[in-house]
Amino acid sequence: MPNIDAGHYFFSAIVPVCNEGTIEHPGVDGKPIRSSPIHMVREALETLPTALQSHATEAIGIASPFARSLRTHFARFVVLDQPFFNGRAYGDAIVGTIRGTDLLAAEPDDRLSCPYLLVMIDFDPRDGGKDEPRAYFEELWGLMEPELRAVFGYCYGFPGVSGATGFAEWLISCQLDTTMPFNDYWIDPPNLPSLSAAGLVAILAGFVAVPILAQLRYHFWHGPVLILLVLLALLVGVAADYLLVMGRGARPFPGNPRATLPHILKSLYLQRAFARFVTDQQDRDPATWGAAFRDFLKTHRPEDLTGPTQPPGVIR
Amino acid sequence: MTAALDLADIQGGILRAYGRQGFPKARYFFFTVRDAAKGRVFVEALRPRITSAARWKNPERGEPLLRTRNPRVKDVVRAEGLPDYPGRVELLKPKVAINIGFTFTGLFALGVPTRTLRAMPDEFIDGMEKRAAILGDDRFLGTRDAIWRNSSDEKRVHILVSLNGEMNPDGSPIAELEEETRALRSLCAASNGGVILLSGHGADQADHQDLSAILRRDATGLWPTNKEHFHISDGFGDPVFEGQFSGEAERLRMIGGGKLLHDQSWAPLATGEFLLGHPDEAQEIPGAAMPIEFSRNGTFMAYRKLDENVGAFRDYIDDQARRYARFAGVPTDAAREIVQAKLVGRWSDGVPLMEAPTFQKWQEFNAALTAATAAKDKAKLAEFALRFTSFTYRSDPVGARCPVTSHMRRANPRDTLDPHYSSPDKKSWDGSALVNRRRILRRGLPYGPWDYDAQPDGQERGIVFLALCSSLFRQFEFVQQQWMQYGLDFNAGSDACPVIGNHPPTEGGPPAKMMIVTDPAGQDLPFLCDRIPQLVEPRGGDYFFVPSMTALRLIGMGIIDPT
Repeated sequence: MPNIDAGHYFFSAIVPVCNEGTIEHPGVDGKPIRSSPIHMVREALETLPTALQSHATEAIGIASPFARSLRTHFARFVVLDQPFFNGRAYGDAIVGTIRGTDLLAAEPDDRLSCPYLLVMIDFDPRDGGKDEPRAYFEELWGLMEPELRAVFGYCYGFPGVSGATGFAEWLISCQLDTTMPFNDYWIDPPNLPSLSAAGLVAILAGFVAVPILAQLRYHFWHGPVLILLVLLALLVGVAADYLLVMGRGARPFPGNPRATLPHILKSLYLQRAFARFVTDQQDRDPATWGAAFRDFLKTHRPEDLTGPTQPPGVIR
Repeated sequence: MTAALDLADIQGGILRAYGRQGFPKARYFFFTVRDAAKGRVFVEALRPRITSAARWKNPERGEPLLRTRNPRVKDVVRAEGLPDYPGRVELLKPKVAINIGFTFTGLFALGVPTRTLRAMPDEFIDGMEKRAAILGDDRFLGTRDAIWRNSSDEKRVHILVSLNGEMNPDGSPIAELEEETRALRSLCAASNGGVILLSGHGADQADHQDLSAILRRDATGLWPTNKEHFHISDGFGDPVFEGQFSGEAERLRMIGGGKLLHDQSWAPLATGEFLLGHPDEAQEIPGAAMPIEFSRNGTFMAYRKLDENVGAFRDYIDDQARRYARFAGVPTDAAREIVQAKLVGRWSDGVPLMEAPTFQKWQEFNAALTAATAAKDKAKLAEFALRFTSFTYRSDPVGARCPVTSHMRRANPRDTLDPHYSSPDKKSWDGSALVNRRRILRRGLPYGPWDYDAQPDGQERGIVFLALCSSLFRQFEFVQQQWMQYGLDFNAGSDACPVIGNHPPTEGGPPAKMMIVTDPAGQDLPFLCDRIPQLVEPRGGDYFFVPSMTALRLIGMGIIDPT
């Protein structure tokens, strides 16, 4: 199941945005203004606070609403207006001439019938992802309903949404499988069960050996039958190896047990605090270091995820 | 596959020719921005008032095919009860349509990021004054309106705001136009010097350009016409592009307005010829300023104030008509119409020469049209509507019916430039392939006295010509330089357009001329219209970016992220 990998849920969805008619809404001067639905979606996204990730955003001081959830690692929205058309497909000039290709006749280019909103959110699943992403979206609705309404309000199907359950159902109906999730919270390589090449060969050899040994012991078969059976055993062996490799490959990459968002925030906080601590101790008497470190542990409580820690939605 | 255009994201003036859509009165205002932040506040405050291209309903619209003197193609669609523009109708037609555009320096003054501006095309960065030599304007730079002569530094034109309004039965603009004018002035005043309204239009140095359709008077009142001050009907055959109209309307309007294919059928032009961010006739999405949502659904516009020397035009036509009457043995009145039609490519009421090549045929056309109108024969009128635009030039290679160097045939040569034009092999015909990348949407209105019968009296008269296209260089400037100010593509050497071309008095050189060609196989001799005076002079203008509603918001909010 590619949506869950390395202990995290990677949610992807494409949500169709209405492309008919106009929307009436208040303008800056309070007077009504009419805009296209996708214009409203863009405006909602462009005015949605991002993480406090730069001096400018820190000065604004309003963090991304996704930071209200201590399970959200990352959220990204992209408006897909149309696939970008790069011109005619390459064709060999000689082949084209022979075929009588008319270069003045435009080739068909793919168009979307409406704009889509690409939604990508990485979050910490609960209970191994048993009830995800439903539980996450229900929780998110409670944390940022007004913002979600602003972003999704003009998407097909959303106007009928009521409540957390309805929102989760609606968004999940637009979900795609995430085929290439990525994060990297492992410090040391995880203890992954590996398949040795020798083991795979041994499985193969095992299948092939059965008819050969049987022949040696009991002289069951004539030559051609034996060859056929060996070939058959070879095929079974290859299939067994294939299923073994694919089965292992389909298993999610194991999650680091200490890679939930609170863990990440705490470790970022500790990194910075410890760097400061080390800097401070440099010029001090080594005899005092032990006491200082005990103070450090007392102050910063490395095992306490609730605090002190880095607030979510802040990149320092 | 045709993608539905987001009409509510496109400014209304791009898709609609306001002058012909019941907005015969207009005022154009130009501003300079002296403080970027205040300028953005001005733009943001104006944004809710901007008219988009979203489909609207006009409850006061007259009966299709009967509401105008000549039937129009769009009325053919309406008569069948079909939608003209795509999408749901949720709007009522406004009383005043408001639109906005920016010069390059205007975008710079408003704080548009360098990375976005650097991808703007050269000609737009240059502005119209620097392109004078290409456009043929260099002789007239000193006689431009003061607003354009002074358009630099603190008085550089940055923003154009156009108000197009309806009119009262007495020919005056409706009160809402004045209300919007007041609102615009208030917004400018509220900027506390951040945005300045520029003056310098015409002889009285007005702070806006006043425009009006020429009005015709009959027993029932005053009616806007599609005439300009030479009394020539204008505004036929505008390009039709993919997504502009609903499917049913497109099917009809592309005939004569779209592009001509190999098999002589018509198709709509590619959207990208007129709107940025869409595939164009080169079968690619052309490069544009980033981010793409800044460019997408926007376009460029050339604003040109063209002074029409009405007295010189009438004198010249009279003079040539007298000569032609003697030469061809026709009455002078008929000769006047013939000479004018040959210069223009259409008879004075817009009937194309390709439909009615002789004075007699024109009379017959109009008699049949009048009869159909009187009988309210809508089927017949629908046929007539199409005949105003549905023609090609293949049957007239030498220009015996419609001179190859007439204004209309130069502006849109249709299939004239087909490299296999004279080939007997129909399969080799290329239709309008060489013209498809040179089309422009023509907008604008006349300025000066609006009374149809007013005599030339020294008041300024002319037309504000707006050319909209994705590439001013490839489309507008090419048409202006190569087809209007030059004649080589039409085998006419350096002859310029007889109507809007430059006709400089050259000492010792040949005076400006145009040949009225006749059928080489016939008995009639060709007639040379010579000593053509300067009939049209540019009074200034500039190049504007007409952003989408999305880009306008990005400009106003100052949140363009070009990364």
